Amino acid sequence: MNGEDPQERPEQIRNIINGLERYNPQAAEVLEAYLQQQCEQKFCDCNANRALLKLYQLNPDRIKDEVITNILVKAMTQFPSPQFDLALHLLSPSQSNPGPNSTSDLTEAVAKLRVLNAQLEGAQYARFWATLDSDDIYADLTTDIAGFEETIRVRIAQLVSQAFREVQVDVLEAWLGLDDAEAVKKFATETCRWKVSEDGATVLIPANPDNEAKKTEIREEVSVDMFSRVIRRAWEGEA
Amino acid sequence: MSYQNGLAPARAIDDDSDVEEEALVADYKEQVQYEGGLDELDQATLAAQADEIQGRLVMAAQPLDFQASLETKFQSYDNYCSLFHYILNSEGPVDLEPPSYYWAWDVIDEFIYQFNTFSSYRARIAREGKNEEEAQILRDNPNTWGCYSVLNVLYSLIQKSQITEQLAAMRRNEDPMTVAGPYGSKNLYRMLGYFSIIGLLRVHCLLGDFSLALKTLDDIELNKKAMFARVMAAHFTTYYYVGFSYMMMRRYADAIRMFSHILVYVSRTKNFQKNSQYDSITKKNDQMLALIAICVAFHPTRLDDTIHVALREKYGDQLLKLQRGGPESLPVYEELFKLACPKFISPIPPDFDRPENNTDPIDHHLSVFMEEVKTNMWSPTVKSYLRLYTTMDLKKLAGFLDVKPEELRSWLLVNKQRTKQLRWTEGGLLEGELINIGDLDYALQGDIIHISETKMGRKLVDWYLRNLARTYA
Repeated sequence: MNGEDPQERPEQIRNIINGLERYNPQAAEVLEAYLQQQCEQKFCDCNANRALLKLYQLNPDRIKDEVITNILVKAMTQFPSPQFDLALHLLSPSQSNPGPNSTSDLTEAVAKLRVLNAQLEGAQYARFWATLDSDDIYADLTTDIAGFEETIRVRIAQLVSQAFREVQVDVLEAWLGLDDAEAVKKFATETCRWKVSEDGATVLIPANPDNEAKKTEIREEVSVDMFSRVIRRAWEGEA
Repeated sequence: MSYQNGLAPARAIDDDSDVEEEALVADYKEQVQYEGGLDELDQATLAAQADEIQGRLVMAAQPLDFQASLETKFQSYDNYCSLFHYILNSEGPVDLEPPSYYWAWDVIDEFIYQFNTFSSYRARIAREGKNEEEAQILRDNPNTWGCYSVLNVLYSLIQKSQITEQLAAMRRNEDPMTVAGPYGSKNLYRMLGYFSIIGLLRVHCLLGDFSLALKTLDDIELNKKAMFARVMAAHFTTYYYVGFSYMMMRRYADAIRMFSHILVYVSRTKNFQKNSQYDSITKKNDQMLALIAICVAFHPTRLDDTIHVALREKYGDQLLKLQRGGPESLPVYEELFKLACPKFISPIPPDFDRPENNTDPIDHHLSVFMEEVKTNMWSPTVKSYLRLYTTMDLKKLAGFLDVKPEELRSWLLVNKQRTKQLRWTEGGLLEGELINIGDLDYALQGDIIHISETKMGRKLVDWYLRNLARTYA
């Protein structure tokens, strides 16, 4: 699973999440600092972050709203994956499902992030960028995560390369949330190392195992072992 | 075990020990009818033993009456605390033999079951905001059946018994006794420790921590030789929670493998089981069939014949709707999920002062799960069309489906992304390899969709062997 057990995880964190220390309310501070590090250094350790959410779950007095939203935004960057959902499951029901009379800042923020995440999971990338632009709250929620937009953009490009051999520049422009065709071509050639067709209307993506769609036939594998029971039975029946 | 979330009638608090005793005896009578596993103890000996430690051990494994009052629930919690305190904090290991092989499982099972029902009950009182008297008692005792103390008991039993080390030694084919220590070499501790691991799997799952739930079983190998396999209820529970956790982690192939294993096992052994025990399993059986229906809808696959027949019989209509997808399938997903999910709980006391703030945890987990369902709901439609062609124009297909080309592009991406799934091959339950699970693959060249279908060769040898086994078994 993406972002589950990164190499960057230090020894100290490993000890916390693999031992009983994960239940010590004081461990929250260490995990919070580690989250901060993830946000700055652009890696993601959803497993450790869930340990932090678990501590919040058991000790609601320790909850820091911006830590929860940062964890969610971090998990979101791993799309498509269950990471965001796994984090949501650890929030208290009232935090993620606003009641009729209870709208705290956190519930509102979580609801907003769920919308964004659903768009990424549903591959509605153009809509994702539009949503992101639609409300200033999104800028606030993602401001701590260094390179958020770039991370999402690279991830989308990667997913596109797994499904497309050629893709129209205007489609890519909407999906990558870029301003014009020039920016798309720049991103495609420089960041992704793809080529642009001669007429400049399509981007050509090199062949990879995922965008080939090769025909395969699964044949039955037959080995002697499969018959061992039958043979033994015949042998024993004989005796 | 059947579950009841019913409102218990408030019973007058009565300290008269005779009354208590009678209630215990009545409980026990019900238990005998319910389980029939402790026939050798008649009521008279039970009453005589109630004060003794052996009697307390037996008591700890008895289900609490469904109608038990709040007072009884508090009392039961105190009983568990003092029993576990005695077992864990006496000077050195206590010299006791578990009353039966099933005992350790029954104790842990009942302990968690009571924790589960208590938490659900407390949340319900807070949500309904009608029973002010009980709300006040619950408000005043936030630590009774507290999550930290339940976790503490389970982890302590695991640590004291060195069960993790013992299991690791067994995996290396070494004698577990060499690492068992003074506690773990005793049956009582070893069994309690072992079943506490399975208890933790369950508690983590009830709290919505599905990956931690699976991680808990790192030391237990899931096979027929495992210790839990000797206790049917433990075997069954383990597979249910593991399967459910896999499903919540979108590992549908693994979830189906778990549910299938246990359902086939149950169907093979149902003739040997006592009727009463079998009844309590039937409900979970149906729940797992419902979960298989959900998983198969996400991840179409060939099921074992027995399960396929049972599934069609029990949830045939629902399965058809799930497989068709689209918005009409959503209520069916919700219905099956609610019917088959564990009774999720919140680890902290509810907000008694603002009833409207207490969302039912089941609704919370359901709403998160439904996001993924909604994301995937067009996949069956897309796939059914793609199967008909080897190349197809995207705009033309969008026209057939009556959607915008942008929308179809998203659907195609979603469906393609979901064909990659983590599947277990060896090691811990969380391990796995990313594999392609679909039999349909495609790639886009601009607006041209190139489609290829994986052909399955006929599995003749498998068919032949299975039928041979069936004929001569």
